[in-house]
Amino acid sequence: MNYYLISNLITCLCALIGFIYGIAEFFKPKKAVYAQMITLAVGCVVFGRLYQMVRLITAGDISNEFQLGILGVIGSLLFLFSANYGAMDSLADDGSKSFAKYRLIAMTAPAAAAAIYVVFILICDFPLLIKAEAGVIAAFAALASYFNLKHLIFPDVDYGVINCLKAYNLLALIFDFLCIAETVAVSYNNELAVLIIGIITGAVLIAITPTVKRGIMKWTA
Amino acid sequence: MDSLIYILFVCLIAPLLLMLFMLRNRSRLLIGYMLIGIFVSLFVSELNTILLNLFSGDMLYVTTVITPISEELVKAIPVLYYAIVFSDDRDRVLPIAFATGVGFAMFENMVVLVENIESVTIGWAVVRGFATALMHAICTMAVGYGICFVKKKKKLFYCGTFALLSMASIYHGIFNMLVQSDYKYFGFVLPAITYIPFLVQNLSNVKKEKKA
Repeated sequence: MNYYLISNLITCLCALIGFIYGIAEFFKPKKAVYAQMITLAVGCVVFGRLYQMVRLITAGDISNEFQLGILGVIGSLLFLFSANYGAMDSLADDGSKSFAKYRLIAMTAPAAAAAIYVVFILICDFPLLIKAEAGVIAAFAALASYFNLKHLIFPDVDYGVINCLKAYNLLALIFDFLCIAETVAVSYNNELAVLIIGIITGAVLIAITPTVKRGIMKWTA
Repeated sequence: MDSLIYILFVCLIAPLLLMLFMLRNRSRLLIGYMLIGIFVSLFVSELNTILLNLFSGDMLYVTTVITPISEELVKAIPVLYYAIVFSDDRDRVLPIAFATGVGFAMFENMVVLVENIESVTIGWAVVRGFATALMHAICTMAVGYGICFVKKKKKLFYCGTFALLSMASIYHGIFNMLVQSDYKYFGFVLPAITYIPFLVQNLSNVKKEKKA
């Protein structure tokens, strides 16, 4: 039984459901770009996983050389980062000193991402390609996780939109760390861990777009 | 064989170039960008030869991992140029992105035809004509969607375009992988499945505009 294939299949199917839901809900005129970007983040996972599956089915192996599937993870993390940094952050954080402690607390997420990478990958005896791929994923996950954690703890006093999106930010934060965890599991060739992480990732991805919808509805109500 | 590709390039581009001067406004823009797509395809065919040599002639790896990235990057450049210099209006950028992709696919099909002249059939032409053209057009249009934010929201533009480029490269890679495998029919169907929602949405928009 190929655990990698099953894990990718589960994640791909769950992400596909979330993606279709997001397309149906958010890709209409006058809908928030923020929600569209989160939908596209889920879409990136669909394509990335589909690539991995096709590669596994047609060529049999995905671990020896660089594969495009990694771009799916990078793309999804970039969309999550971009949605919060580009569309939402300026609504809550005016850069004043009174919010400095929240920015500082939020730094613990990228610090944790960096720590996981250093402890489990960088100082271990892995080929350069694995170290580089895991490093890139950890870097993008760190970027996205900073804003996800920040918006999870930030007191949004002016608009209230970030308060309504806390459930989404929690799910996105979990997803950021699942991306790193999966890279570690794949590097150690731990098939069972890959399968468990794949199932949890699928559950998170299927819930992300409806959570965003609920958050936006709560804000506009 | 290279010279034959250049001969085909001239044969294809000359009549379109002549027609370009007779057209106006939107038609000229679309045909112009189709011509740019053809030119980009010629450039990429040379670039791919260099990349193939760099990767020791491993055709499968290069076409499923390397060329999807290089092709999507090069195709996006003229669209980005238009968005920065002329207009980043979505109604203008998306059609020219589609035209660039179609022009690119037209010439790429000719290059593949020249390289496989002994084995090509009408069936090959039908499948490749529809599937490849759609695949290239959809990928370039997807990247064009992100490029539309170049002036409006720069923070979204940088990350969004990179992420869309990643998405387009993966989609391109899946297509290339499928068409070279035993499951090639899935590869031929994939662009059509992706194209139909765009088509339906576009037709419904046209209907709404007519009603309004």
